[in-house]
Amino acid sequence: MSSSSRSRLSVQQSVAMVWRTLRSMRTALILLLLLAAASVVGSLIPQVPNSPERAAQFLDTHPLLGDLYLRAGLFDVFGSWWFTLITVLLFVSLIACLIPRTRATWRALRARPIQAREIDAFRHYGERETALTPDEAIEVARRTLRRRRFRVARDPERAALAAEKGALRETGSLLFHWAFILILVGVVYGKGTGFSGFALVVEGDTWIDAQANYDGQIRTGRFFDGEFTGVGLHLNEFESAFRETGQPMDFVSRVELLDPSGTPIRSQDIRVNHPAKIEGITIYQSSFGWAPVIRVADGGRVIFDDAVPFSRQEAPEGVPQLAMPWRGVVKLPSLRPQVAIDLELWPDSRAFLEQLRTGTPVAMLTSFDPVMRYTVYEGRLTDPSPVSLDVRLMDKTASGIVGAGTRADLATGKLLEDGATPVGPSVTFTDLKQYSVFQVAKDRGVPIVLVAAILILLGLLPALYSSRRKVWVRAVPSEGGARLQVGGFALQRKVQFEEEFDRLVDALAQAPGHGPADAEREKVRTR
Amino acid sequence: MTTLEWARISNDAFNVALFSYLAAMVGYFAFLAFGRDRIWKIARAVAFAGLAANLVSIAARGLAAHRVPWGNMYEYSCLLALLVVAGYLVIVEGVYKQRALGGFALMFSVLTMAVAVSFLYVGPGPLVPALNSYWIKIHVQAAIWGSSLFALGGIVTILYLFQDRRERVRIDVLRAEQPAPIMGGSIDMHAPPDLVGDASDEPGTSLERTGVLPPAATLDLIAYRIIAFAFPIWTFAVIAGAIWAQEAWGRYWGWDPKETWSFITWTIFAGYLHARATSGWRGRKSAVIALVGFVALLITYYAVNLWIVGLHSYAK
Ligand code: HEM
Repeated sequence: MSSSSRSRLSVQQSVAMVWRTLRSMRTALILLLLLAAASVVGSLIPQVPNSPERAAQFLDTHPLLGDLYLRAGLFDVFGSWWFTLITVLLFVSLIACLIPRTRATWRALRARPIQAREIDAFRHYGERETALTPDEAIEVARRTLRRRRFRVARDPERAALAAEKGALRETGSLLFHWAFILILVGVVYGKGTGFSGFALVVEGDTWIDAQANYDGQIRTGRFFDGEFTGVGLHLNEFESAFRETGQPMDFVSRVELLDPSGTPIRSQDIRVNHPAKIEGITIYQSSFGWAPVIRVADGGRVIFDDAVPFSRQEAPEGVPQLAMPWRGVVKLPSLRPQVAIDLELWPDSRAFLEQLRTGTPVAMLTSFDPVMRYTVYEGRLTDPSPVSLDVRLMDKTASGIVGAGTRADLATGKLLEDGATPVGPSVTFTDLKQYSVFQVAKDRGVPIVLVAAILILLGLLPALYSSRRKVWVRAVPSEGGARLQVGGFALQRKVQFEEEFDRLVDALAQAPGHGPADAEREKVRTR
Repeated sequence: MTTLEWARISNDAFNVALFSYLAAMVGYFAFLAFGRDRIWKIARAVAFAGLAANLVSIAARGLAAHRVPWGNMYEYSCLLALLVVAGYLVIVEGVYKQRALGGFALMFSVLTMAVAVSFLYVGPGPLVPALNSYWIKIHVQAAIWGSSLFALGGIVTILYLFQDRRERVRIDVLRAEQPAPIMGGSIDMHAPPDLVGDASDEPGTSLERTGVLPPAATLDLIAYRIIAFAFPIWTFAVIAGAIWAQEAWGRYWGWDPKETWSFITWTIFAGYLHARATSGWRGRKSAVIALVGFVALLITYYAVNLWIVGLHSYAK
């Protein structure tokens, strides 16, 4: 053989070999185990989509290892190219395996059971005498088998038949394997055409579903059409309830849903586990917090008057999260020099006083005479973010405490009596509201995935539990009428089949109106 | 009765259950050692008594907390222990008529309960809002049923690997004595080797019994049947969990550590089911996969809840 023809052959051969390899059960098995191994890695290394802070922390503490992980995509295993590769190969393998199997099953389902030549050669064999003619006996056996859900084929030449049962096993297996492909379709379609993001709404405000109104990043699918619904959500009230231990009991956002023209559609309570669905988007309760309403006036002119969502400060080891004050910033870029007010909210002033007096942190379960500690900075605002503050180019000019309904002078840090005239701008803590954060998501693939999941379960049951049985019956003339010869074998659950077979042989010989077969002349053998 | 009284009844019944299981375990091992029917009957009766106490403890816990008694790790462990013992008595002794494995199943439940009462105990109380859902109740129930059956399957698999090894050693010894071919017969491509009487053409069983355990082929089959029973239940648990996640968090799947590990467990057992239908992977190799699945299950159950952070960690 020349070397060129050898290489040409080997290209064909290698394609065929790859295909054969993909089709083999062993490949599927190894890919499944690889998928499991990759997932283990993903659960041990902090993942950016799930916990970005922990991933960043890991990078800080292990710079070398972290860099290696970063290159290998180990901080986002489930979005990495190699995880996708394993999944794709698994699905290619699955399809390669399913197509021929489906075709074969389809043919087998339509084919008639094949007649056997030597019935007594099967693993199970029994004989019974009946008083019927051979043709009658076979007809009785045929009906009995049909009643027991066997597919039966009558031998056209003899008084004989062949029967099978348990096609559901293979059909079920095919059904749930195909359903995995349906899951993939549902996931890709849903994620591809959907989006998910967070909406922060203060009590009394109305939020409109539009790109600009989302808090932070929106995760959009590759094929997302970019059209937001324009529906509105008016937050009437947010309520949270905690137990003494600080364990949350319930939180609920009482909202009014509005159609894109602003007309109210319905009122609804959104809780954890009870999202609102409207116009194809689903709105979930995600988190919540305090939003003090702050007014800043300079002379007679109000320069800031708004609810400011505060964020919860991370609790150090051993301090209950609910004992932590909340933090927020008000920036006044229009003033010269520019001004920033750094605020620390204590929703429950009793906890604040207790901590001042004894130093022990106390959980704040509700609001009670809230107070804010503030620090005023002047200089140049460099950080555009509404929630963080960079004071490197600023000087601290005053600080103080302001309670709900009271007003303070930002220049001196002193509280102002009603009607008093401040030296500089004044800050008023007019009200304490709450805000609620909603996760808003659109995923049109959910019903597809759900249907696929149900199909998987439906297919799995017969695939694992039903058993295939094959039975052949022949009736030969004897002096009393006919001798029924029955052979059979089981592909699964063979032990059970022994007894099952005996009972079946009895049933087959039992013609309606005749008694049970003559016990003395019966003969059953199992090999 | 008051919450406190119910809580006390629950704790007392827990102790009765734990010590009954311990006594029954000793009894079953004594039965293994001495082979007396009387010992087995007593051990079995004690195990049933433990089962009853375990059930009372769980019910009283529910009455104390005014909710379903499966809301935290301690309660999951009580249910797990109950279902492993019940599963053993019903499936292994009831269906497969094997009495030699009781000590091992009981040992698992004793350890589970000991860990629960030492490290995981919390008083009865209401659920956090995220756990207060219809689907979570279904999801947890299915997950515990699946876990207990996988655990039982894992225990039988360990015994299979042990027994298989002993039988191999026996075969080698016999081979050395008389060079007649002992191995032989083919295994049906479509099905696992079947039970005792039928397994005459399988390697290993042509010998007389090796030791006190049932033949390896029998153990292999029982393990397979139990795992095949558990697999759809686990699948359902994962699906129910996804439905719950969709309602609570707005996404049915997010690779949260608990989700990831239940997926890993599921994938490994799916691998096991495939391995049994793959030539060259039957027997020891597939049993090792089941064993890895068992370890993954324990990680899903303990490590993820206790050490790996995630949205699920408030389920503690
Ligand atoms: C995606 C995850 C998969 C799961 C969870 C899964 C699960 C299962 C289960 C539970 C069985 C039944 C085993 C039995 O009847 O004893 C099975 C059978 C089978 N699977 Fe999969 N499978 C998956 C993917 C695949 C892939 C990718 C292939 C393609 C190579 C494949 C090929 C087969 C074959 C050929 C059988 C039939 C075994 C038999 O009937 O003897 N599976 N699978």
